[in-house]
Amino acid sequence: MPSSLSTPAAPASLSRTQRLRLWTAVRLGDAAALASRLAGRGSGASIRGQVLTRLDPDAFAELLQGHRVLAVSGTNGKTTTTHLLAAAVRAGLGAQAARLVTNSDGANLHYGIASALSQQPRADIAVLETDERVVSDMIAHARPEILVLLNFSRDQLDRHHEIKALGRSWRRALDAAGASGPTIVANACDPLVVWSAGTAARVIWVETDTVWHADGALCPACGSLLVRVPSAGRDRWDCPGCELTQPASDYRVDGGTVVLPDGTTVTPDLQVPGSFNVSNAACALAAAVEFGIPVEAALTGMHTVTAPAGRFATAQFGATSARLLLAKNPAGWAEALPLAASDPVVLAIDSVAADGRDVSWLWDVDYEQLAGRTVICTGPRAQDLAVRLSYAGVDHRVEPDLRTAITGAGPTVDVIATYTPFQALLKMVGLR
Amino acid sequence: MSPVEIVLVYQSLLGIYGDRGNAMVLRQRLAWRGIDATLTVVEPGDPVPSTGSVYLLGGGEDAAQISAVKGLKADGHLFDALDRGAVLFAVCAGFQIAGNTFTVGEQDDVIEGLGLLDVDTRRGPVRAVGEILTRWKRPDGSEYLITGFENHGGFTTLGAKAKPLASVEIGVGNANDGIEGAVQGTVVGTYPHGPVLARNPALADHLLERALGRDLEPLPLPELDELRRQRIAAVRKTGTRR
Repeated sequence: MPSSLSTPAAPASLSRTQRLRLWTAVRLGDAAALASRLAGRGSGASIRGQVLTRLDPDAFAELLQGHRVLAVSGTNGKTTTTHLLAAAVRAGLGAQAARLVTNSDGANLHYGIASALSQQPRADIAVLETDERVVSDMIAHARPEILVLLNFSRDQLDRHHEIKALGRSWRRALDAAGASGPTIVANACDPLVVWSAGTAARVIWVETDTVWHADGALCPACGSLLVRVPSAGRDRWDCPGCELTQPASDYRVDGGTVVLPDGTTVTPDLQVPGSFNVSNAACALAAAVEFGIPVEAALTGMHTVTAPAGRFATAQFGATSARLLLAKNPAGWAEALPLAASDPVVLAIDSVAADGRDVSWLWDVDYEQLAGRTVICTGPRAQDLAVRLSYAGVDHRVEPDLRTAITGAGPTVDVIATYTPFQALLKMVGLR
Repeated sequence: MSPVEIVLVYQSLLGIYGDRGNAMVLRQRLAWRGIDATLTVVEPGDPVPSTGSVYLLGGGEDAAQISAVKGLKADGHLFDALDRGAVLFAVCAGFQIAGNTFTVGEQDDVIEGLGLLDVDTRRGPVRAVGEILTRWKRPDGSEYLITGFENHGGFTTLGAKAKPLASVEIGVGNANDGIEGAVQGTVVGTYPHGPVLARNPALADHLLERALGRDLEPLPLPELDELRRQRIAAVRKTGTRR
């Protein structure tokens, strides 16, 4: 049964001591954020969250109280999907839009979520991008009504040694939550997602346009080799060794359209590019509808999303107009590369902790598709990319400095960057 | 003359660290020299060709290791090819499964490997993650630095029949014992990826020369020299020397 939109969240129940400690931590966090802003070091959201959760280690759980939570997680597309879902909910709330809080800056760890919540104490509906590592805590503490699980693929393997380990933690958390756990909105085409959601009480399945299958060779449940079964539309996956199989979908992405559970087809009029964003929109739409937002309102809201946390933004660098695309791992590159149509195209690679320290993944990306164009390699690991492109037979030159790489590229250029250079570019043009 | 066949074995199981790059490097280095070469990608369930000159195994997770061993033993052609003198280059999880035994899972179940290298792998006290720099003694006696990135939980010890590939300058290597990799006949195992043959062209050419039974002309690529200079400088600046 769809939850009613007008239902307010149950109020938080904190003791006097808890409230006082939380209030103090929030005020000191705000002060730290202000100091950071005055020092010209960005929005201060990150330092606020860190001070806040340091002073009150329970702040994450306490601040989540009093909210009806919709959470979004997965390896790729979290930020965009969170923006799409928040926009859909905002449109559905209409005049009551102030009830909504969301971590639109993409800060998706405990402190980032706490920071966002602390800034809108009156909001009682929270749409929260949630890092894969925070999902089990989110399930335990926030009792989210809806949890969107987009996809699961290799990412930062120097930190997450085993892709399946995170899925295992989700299964445990969902199992522990039992019947009071969230309704899951999940990507039916991703075997690891399906297995991870396997202990949930209720799942709405979305058949998406997933292009990356390299991390779904083996059955996560029994280790058998998965097979792909031809069927009308796209192939389905199935495990010959156990009962795990691609579930029948409730929503289905078909080209640029989404087929709803009742069989009607809608066309999301998105301002974010790429077929993968139609899949993200389908998941956001399913979550919004489940939350009680009418389809039309959800679509109207999603249309307003243009550049979530700077992704797909066009910005001016001197005389050069650059479109900024983020790609953090091979699955992300598989989505972003076909969008980058400019010649030359700028690719920015770094390898600090947030990017993953190991750039071996460069060889998992099909850079061969750029043959015939020129790549300007930039960022601290530009040389690794240059060697990769030589072997791919793609013309290129190396310009380690980000700004020079872009301004030297001509009047318009597409830029794909890993996380750290992407954030640096946003800062250069005042988008962060 | 028929083309030189490079065989990438079970890419979807053992290819988690960009390991297909090793195959691309081998094929391209032959092509740049005007030598006809093909790359055969074998997926699980497909027959492994016995006609290859160089076979490649890469990195993967526990379940993938078990599945790969099962598949290769059932197929058998890899063993035939090695009997004929083909080269096997096995990286990370591939190195482990090429050995006598390795362990998987939280209970450290012991699994029998392919038995192509006289090595055994057990869970180490810590996971080895980071840039690694080793010294490889080439067949002509000269020394060559191997730069790569290691990421493995298993520690590997060598039996009498296997010889070390290299000695560790920075990083963990086989078992934090100063030794890296193993060589036994035409089978070479190693931990670094990067992929390792992309960063270390001399090792790539060595494998090709072994497989072809003749020397290859040098292939100067200044941007590769620059990459090596950068990576070696970076690991020497930040890494912990043995």
